[in-house]
Amino acid sequence: MPPAIASSAVPRAAALPNRRQRPRVAPWLMPLILVLGLFYLYPVLDVFRLALTRATLLGGDEGYTVSTLTQTLARPELPGILGVTALFTLASVFSQQLLGLAIALVVVRGEKRRLFGTTIVRTTALIAWVVPGIAGGIIWKMLFNEAPFGGLNSILRLMGAAPVQWLSDPDLVMWSVVISNVWRGTAFSMVVMYAALKAIDPVLYEAAAVDGASAPQRLMHVTLPQLRSAILVNMILITIQTLNTFDAIISLTGGGPGRSTEVLSLYTFNVVFRNYDLAGGAVLSILMLVISLGLALVYAAFLPKGEDR
Amino acid sequence: MSAKTRERIGDLFSYLFMLATFVFFAWPLLWLLSLALRTRKEVFLGVSRFIPKAPTLENFAMILSSDKFAGYLWNALKLSCLSALGCLIVALPAAYAFSRFRFRGKGAWMMALLSVQMISPLVIMVPLYRYMASIGLTDSHFGATMVYIALAVPMVTWILKGTIDGIPAALDEAAMIDGCNRLGVFLRVVLPLSTPGIASAFIISVIGGWSQFLVPFLLITKESLTPIGVGIFQYAGTQNDSSIQLLAAACLVSVVPAIVAFLALQRLILGALTAGAVKG
Repeated sequence: MPPAIASSAVPRAAALPNRRQRPRVAPWLMPLILVLGLFYLYPVLDVFRLALTRATLLGGDEGYTVSTLTQTLARPELPGILGVTALFTLASVFSQQLLGLAIALVVVRGEKRRLFGTTIVRTTALIAWVVPGIAGGIIWKMLFNEAPFGGLNSILRLMGAAPVQWLSDPDLVMWSVVISNVWRGTAFSMVVMYAALKAIDPVLYEAAAVDGASAPQRLMHVTLPQLRSAILVNMILITIQTLNTFDAIISLTGGGPGRSTEVLSLYTFNVVFRNYDLAGGAVLSILMLVISLGLALVYAAFLPKGEDR
Repeated sequence: MSAKTRERIGDLFSYLFMLATFVFFAWPLLWLLSLALRTRKEVFLGVSRFIPKAPTLENFAMILSSDKFAGYLWNALKLSCLSALGCLIVALPAAYAFSRFRFRGKGAWMMALLSVQMISPLVIMVPLYRYMASIGLTDSHFGATMVYIALAVPMVTWILKGTIDGIPAALDEAAMIDGCNRLGVFLRVVLPLSTPGIASAFIISVIGGWSQFLVPFLLITKESLTPIGVGIFQYAGTQNDSSIQLLAAACLVSVVPAIVAFLALQRLILGALTAGAVKG
């Protein structure tokens, strides 16, 4: 606030009648509370209720029981699904964080050195980010296709290399899915890292230069420590986004071949909408909720103490 | 090695990295465009016809002239714009209150709002279908719009609060001295001054609504009400390799509006998003 306005405002505010100092908050928040309550909170609470029933999408038993809970968590395929989810999330989050940071560093350097093309690179990554998940899956399916029109294999063939079974080799397919997810998701990390880099006080770099620090030393001892909270916040956000991703997978592999790319969110979707098992789906949703909450808390524990944001 | 040569070598590596990054992010969309412009014969010639010899707009004409796709696009536009508008109506007063009023538990409310954002939409989808069916809101654009709003409103509220925080509170007070009440201040002072924030929040929720898949997939079964996100998914399921050029065209048609909307307001959107992300 400019000092001139502030100083003129103080005596005026003091002269205001008391009722204006304590405005009624409720009417302002009411629309938000109503919408979230009716279309968000109520369903969330209903998830907890449904988890204790045997309800299906077609109706079914509404009596309360804990057997759904125990049976769903004891399903033989669940450990495999969780393993796939962990691999997908870990690989996606680390690649997005690393690539996003690398692009941001190069773009910032490029802007300082007035290199050509920094805006083009940034914008291209952001365009990929705006592509809807389903469309992203379809696009990558065309790229990974093993027919002549597959956008990757036809390049390999042109260079005389052997074609790769991107989507049908069960050992490889997860990496294909991760690549497509990194393509769509990296821009977010890039933007957050870029903003955080821009916020670092240039004086720190001047001091480092006076002390004769080399470029890698500046990166290790100035840039990365300064980015710590931004990196952690970003990791929380992209971990949750990745855990929730399923539209891009459903249109790319549908979870296959076999179950090799069926992540927890896709599995939940299948349990509810293919098997009509509402109660089982509710249990899995809660499991998802617990996992994202747990991970968020783990990351938050690494945040510097005393610093609010 | 002098500092200057070192900088030059650094530039070289920067260029190489930027080139690789550009190819990685641009190639899928360029390939999509290339396929969409080809005839059926050329599709099977692979990368050697990256620039088609006989480019054709036939595929786009076919997609856009079908009633089905026109309907998908219109429904998506309607749903995403209406829900973005609804989002603003719900979020703006709340953002104003969060920015200006002091009340008990304000921080807790803001954190609660943020944690709502962390719940996967999939979690609420499980009970939502039966709930919406019981109040008669399935197969209606109104019902879907309300759910879109609920999904987007926490983030939009945070963004708008950030915008309103940037407007000096002294302006509110000055207007109140001049006889405005709170509502008057909100409508005549704060809203006009937060236009950039409102515009970016609007576009962000339009883009979010455009890419919605889960909500309409679940709540809308009538083909005539289906938006593009679900439409393209179902269309892809019915296509095979011999019509891949049509699928590419359809896919491009579904992607381009979101890209255009984003590019139009790129600067504003990025500003609003990073403010939210760095704070949140």
